[in-house]
Amino acid sequence: MADHVIEFTRSEPLTMGVELELQILNNRDHNLVRGASDLLARIEKKKHPGDIKPEITESMIEISTVVHTRHDPLLAELRAIRDVLVDNGDRLNLSLCGGGAHPFQQWSERRIYDTPRFRHVSELYGYLAKQFTVFGQHIHIGCANGDDALYLTHALSRYIPHFIALSAASPFYQGEDTAFDSSRLTAVNAFPLSGRAPFLQKWDDFQAYFAKMRGFGIVESMKDFYWDIRPKPEYGTIEIRVCDTPLTIADAAALAGYAQALCHHLLESRRELASEDIYLVYNYNRFQACRFGLEGELIDPHTRERLALSKDIVGTAGRLGRNGETLGADAALERVIRIAATKENGARWMRNALKSAGSLPDVVRLQSEKWRSG
Amino acid sequence: MTFLPDWPNAADPLLLFSILLLAGLAAGELVQRALRLPRITGYVLVGALVGLFSQRVFGRPLMEDARLFADIALGLVLFELGRRFDFAWLKRDRWLMATGLTESAATFAAVYGVLHLLDFHAAWAAVAAAIAMATSPAVVMLVVRDTRSEGQVTERALCFTALNCIAAGITTTMLLSWLHLEYKSGWMSVVLHPLYLLVGAGVAAWVLARLLILAGRWCGKRETAQFVLLVGTVILAVGVAEMLKLSVLLTLLLLGMLSRNLDRHHALLNIEFGYAAQPFFVILFVVTGAGLALADLEAAWLPALAYVAARFLAKTLTLLVLGRLNGFSLDRAWLTALALTPMTGVAVILVRDTTSFYPELGTPLASTVLTAIALLDLVGPIATQLAFRRAGESHPEEPRHG
Repeated sequence: MADHVIEFTRSEPLTMGVELELQILNNRDHNLVRGASDLLARIEKKKHPGDIKPEITESMIEISTVVHTRHDPLLAELRAIRDVLVDNGDRLNLSLCGGGAHPFQQWSERRIYDTPRFRHVSELYGYLAKQFTVFGQHIHIGCANGDDALYLTHALSRYIPHFIALSAASPFYQGEDTAFDSSRLTAVNAFPLSGRAPFLQKWDDFQAYFAKMRGFGIVESMKDFYWDIRPKPEYGTIEIRVCDTPLTIADAAALAGYAQALCHHLLESRRELASEDIYLVYNYNRFQACRFGLEGELIDPHTRERLALSKDIVGTAGRLGRNGETLGADAALERVIRIAATKENGARWMRNALKSAGSLPDVVRLQSEKWRSG
Repeated sequence: MTFLPDWPNAADPLLLFSILLLAGLAAGELVQRALRLPRITGYVLVGALVGLFSQRVFGRPLMEDARLFADIALGLVLFELGRRFDFAWLKRDRWLMATGLTESAATFAAVYGVLHLLDFHAAWAAVAAAIAMATSPAVVMLVVRDTRSEGQVTERALCFTALNCIAAGITTTMLLSWLHLEYKSGWMSVVLHPLYLLVGAGVAAWVLARLLILAGRWCGKRETAQFVLLVGTVILAVGVAEMLKLSVLLTLLLLGMLSRNLDRHHALLNIEFGYAAQPFFVILFVVTGAGLALADLEAAWLPALAYVAARFLAKTLTLLVLGRLNGFSLDRAWLTALALTPMTGVAVILVRDTTSFYPELGTPLASTVLTAIALLDLVGPIATQLAFRRAGESHPEEPRHG
């Protein structure tokens, strides 16, 4: 069994890193376009900050930062990577944008990026692989050990709707208004290993669980779990995976700062997670956030109160002031409070853009303009 | 039995038209499935067969009837190519414009040089060289659509095609002055004729583009309405150009470019003509095939081959050298050059436009150029399709099962 053991690499607590999946567009009708390999071929030759990688289809590209301790340098690095991509895209007549799903692309048109892993995923999941042309933000928060990682995984579940509603930017899918603020997360639900992590609080127990799953031949590595929050033992982090890629870099950095402050608070005021009952409301809350965004409701699993999601975010972020100060995340918290108070998330912005500009290609064009500056 | 129709004279134009269309379709599918060649090649082959026998079987007017559809098809292609042409991209990447113009100039120089060596009359050699600059927009656009190609080789091939068509259109127009001088037509023709053609095409395109944008705003962003509007405007532009004896090539390409680049408030949707226009394109290539100048093949094959070779080498070398300087890999530059091989519809128009003024004198030029076109009609689409496939940019439609 020894080879099934997954050691949790220790990392500096509360450090953070961000991954963003971006859309590659043509400048003609603003549809997704085959461009990742051309863009990467151009960028590979040059020195650039962060990391820029292909994703499963040719119309996606993934950027990731190095490990940061504070919000401002994280934001600066994300901006620098964004600028490299935008500049090189300009030379190739390609644009980029944020948002959790492309509003009108047809999934059958997508092309799988040619690597063995992506080909394998494509064969295994069939249409799901192409339909999974959705774009998310992943936030990594460093943990001292596996027990802390599991504690944060479960403790954060109460706040998952916050991250969904704040980042939601996929109201349109395959040319339709889905009525959801985040239609992207429902695309993730189709995968067999999506959802939430099992309620295990000790890393040893988690290792045993992983060994069993591997024994069944269901998974090979942690990568095969598509959970909303999952421990990432090789990085020594937990990874929050529910966010749509926001429409601006500043929003992406703010979400990371909010997660960092929240984890700081949760570790400080550590309380026993009495039972799996905290997950009884999980799917209801998650649905509310996906469907109604910042207009949704949330049931607090500890107090059983029914709360307006936007108020709960404003209240929570407001109470994190001291944590924010310690970590240098005040600007991030302010931005989060502003989004929640005005209920102006990406989904609302996109719906307003459709009203004023008149067509979905125009919405994408405006998204790509917004991506250049914010 | 008087109720039975007469045979064979009963062949109604509609019936013949449908035969051309369906035979084109069948041949396109056959060469695609059996030989993995572009469907266009099938359309051209059917056209060539019809061309050989139509005199005997159908009588002449058949192709004349179909020509109307071919003109509309060419109008649609030129307009769509123009609409794909992005001024902003040229501004961001100045190498593109430089490469496109150098490629056109080098083609002109190389072909002119070869024809000069072959002792063609200088003025005619210059016209033939100007015509060689242009890549066939119809072939490149249709192969892009048919193979659903996307990527840098595709985008650049389209961009250079638009640029070299404009360059060819302007150069041949300017060369009219020379021809007028040669044939002593008086200074009015020498100066005013090219001026009329260039300014006329520009003004007509600008006015129509403005009107199109206004009408687009009025229609609102509804695809059906805008689709009809676009098709209507394209046909109008073809009609206006023909009525005013302007270049259809320049007018329609400019209309496409201006309708996109002047549309600051994005009133027009980006509609691709798609399935609805496909029958027109099939007819375009069948007509092209029927017009293949195979008769002169025996007499003109050598100069024609020299013409094709000079053109190909000039385009390839320019793209390789400038592509290298611009950080575009040799492999991709070579594939882009290969994609620029086709030379059909536009060249035929240019030959027609130019020789129509001096028909009796255009023959030596025409037979060389038309023979070259006949060769490239058959080879060109294959080259373009191969280029996109080798670049990994084509993504042909998979047949739907069940």
